[in-house]
Amino acid sequence: MTNLLEIRDLRARIVGGRDILKGIDLDVAPGEVHAIMGPNGAGKSTLSSVLAGKPGYEVTGGSILYQGRDLLALPADERAREGVFLAFQYPVEIPGVNNMYFLRAALNAGRRQRGVPELDAAQFLKAVRDKLKLLDISDDLLRRAVNVGFSGGEKKRNEIFQMAMLEPKLAILDETDSGLDIDALRVVSDGVNRLRDPNRAIVLITHYQRLLDYIVPDHVHVLSDGRIVASGDKTFAAELERTGYAHLGSAA
Amino acid sequence: MLITQESASYQDAVPPGGQPPWLARHRAAGMARFAAEGYPKRSQEAWRFTDLRPLTASVFPPAPPDPVAVDAATVAPHRLPCPSHRLVLVNGRFAPALSDIGVLPEGVWLGSVTDALRERPDLVAASLAEGEASLAALNAALFADGFVLAVEAGVTLEAPVEVIHYADMGAPAAAHVRNRMVVGAGGRATVIETSTGVGAGWLNTVTVVTVATGGALRHVQLQRDAAEAIHTSVVRGDLAGDARYESFSLMAGGRLSRRDIQVNLGGPGASVALNGAYLLRGSQEATFAPVVTHAAPHCRTDEVVKGVMQDRAHGVFLGTVRVHPGADGTDARQLNRNLLLSPTAWVDTKPELEILADDVKCSHGATVGSLDEASLFYLQARGIDPATARLMLVEAFAADVIDGAGLDEPIRDHVHGHLRSWLDGLEGGR
Ligand SMILES: Nc1ncnc2c1ncn2[C@@H]1O[C@H](COP(=O)(O)OP(=O)(O)OP(=O)(O)O)[C@@H](O)[C@H]1O
Ligand SMILES: [Mg+2]
Repeated sequence: MTNLLEIRDLRARIVGGRDILKGIDLDVAPGEVHAIMGPNGAGKSTLSSVLAGKPGYEVTGGSILYQGRDLLALPADERAREGVFLAFQYPVEIPGVNNMYFLRAALNAGRRQRGVPELDAAQFLKAVRDKLKLLDISDDLLRRAVNVGFSGGEKKRNEIFQMAMLEPKLAILDETDSGLDIDALRVVSDGVNRLRDPNRAIVLITHYQRLLDYIVPDHVHVLSDGRIVASGDKTFAAELERTGYAHLGSAA
Repeated sequence: MLITQESASYQDAVPPGGQPPWLARHRAAGMARFAAEGYPKRSQEAWRFTDLRPLTASVFPPAPPDPVAVDAATVAPHRLPCPSHRLVLVNGRFAPALSDIGVLPEGVWLGSVTDALRERPDLVAASLAEGEASLAALNAALFADGFVLAVEAGVTLEAPVEVIHYADMGAPAAAHVRNRMVVGAGGRATVIETSTGVGAGWLNTVTVVTVATGGALRHVQLQRDAAEAIHTSVVRGDLAGDARYESFSLMAGGRLSRRDIQVNLGGPGASVALNGAYLLRGSQEATFAPVVTHAAPHCRTDEVVKGVMQDRAHGVFLGTVRVHPGADGTDARQLNRNLLLSPTAWVDTKPELEILADDVKCSHGATVGSLDEASLFYLQARGIDPATARLMLVEAFAADVIDGAGLDEPIRDHVHGHLRSWLDGLEGGR
């Protein structure tokens, strides 16, 4: 099976700043769930930002192939329409832009790209209702502006709801578990598990073993000081919980 | 009498004959005043940001009274999508064939200034004041027509009054329009004015508003003039105790426009809402200058004005709230927010408070910013292309002031429609 994502020796920095990613190698095949753990400031969010195409980063070396194509050559919106989804660590509040209006625009942008018919208001609403139930989100939230006045947990749920609606091929979840209470964690994990699919890969960035009890990964990596310094199977996360990161290679 | 160069060009533009002596007197006084003062100067504080050269560089003789060929189909797209009492003024003159005033309830007078001079000259007389300055003085001298609305005490006019000012003047010419609105105690009315047209005319309007005790007037002005047009407008409002005036202004047309709204809160408990937006692109120049005077205690001002500027457009906000001595319990909020979409667009904003009373609650503020990068990226990260993402954020910025203006459903949608049609012209549309 060919890889969905192939990252080779990726080096990147904030424009005008110091290097943050110092040679990342990572292969993700369709159907797999990868967990990326690692100390604060290691570069996990930077990696997800570079994958999503956030401006302000400069790739100084290496490559990213997505479905065999040069991902870095695509603008952010096109990456998204091609199936790359980033659940933000800190979702942005956008006053005045209605959640439903925004999501329908996003969904239909992707459908246009894939050459499938756009959803009209009624079809869209039906799709929304089905997914809302799965994620236990009140439709009141959808009538509001994007993330405005949402609690921390509501914002995270909204990210997963968007993911469920957009049905990406590669989903990167940046600390989606942080700030969730125990019940919400289970709801969100269930939502993610339902999206597990032989054609879809998920990259989970997390600090907590607990999430990985719910969403069992195929691979666990430690990202430290801009490199992946260790990898293992699902049992590796539990081991890390006991041993911490300090003993792992380039953490120093 | 000192004759300035600019007034010389207007001396011969003698107003229509057969007018009452009191009107002739006002016209002469207006012309004398304009002759002495000429156009506003940038040395005057209230005009220092406004580049009037498109106006002062040419002569704009009053548009001739000949009926121009403007038909119903030309005006139709600018009409409200709901029943209304409709007056259409073409080049500043009432056009009966395009108008449909409909059936008015007992206690409401609505019509043109020309008709009012015959039937209700008192209403026209009350629209003229001593000491009008500059452009308003020239208007007094030269106005040919306008609309008059009078709602008697206790009367509610349910359907909105709709006034369409359509300009098609061919050569550079001016339409001076004088309007009068008076709402009696406890009366209510809504007036929606739309200005639009073609060509490079100058529309110079003066509107005098009186709302008696406990009355309420809602006044929406949608300015969608032709790209080369000039539009200057003064609204002077006087509110008695517990009266309310709700004004919403959209400035989104013309090469040069200026809107002065002067509201006097003259009785206890009077309140004014002054909301609006200026949406400018190309080399458009627009000034929005609302001045509210709190002359009585326990009055309220709510003012939110937003500006969006693209290309080399220039917006000016000159907002003043004056609180007279003794106007205790004043509650006034004034906010001007601006969005610059191009590095060459600019705005001058001066929200000012002049407070001479002790017990007041006043706030004012102004912001100037560009589109939020994090929001733009968030939208793109969901697959929305950059141009659409920008439009979504611009629309959100401006739509908020429309939603906050308390307009009823069909009119609010109509105003949103104007915003969207303006957005469609940005960057080649969405
Ligand atoms: N916009 C920025 N400007 C300057 N430095 C930045 C910026 N964004 C990130 N950094 C720095 O880059 C490094 C990596 O940050 P990143 O957010 O990728 O870490 P992380 O692994 O996601 O950490 P955490 O677990 O705390 O979320 C940190 O030292 C951070 O301070
Ligand atoms: Mg992070």
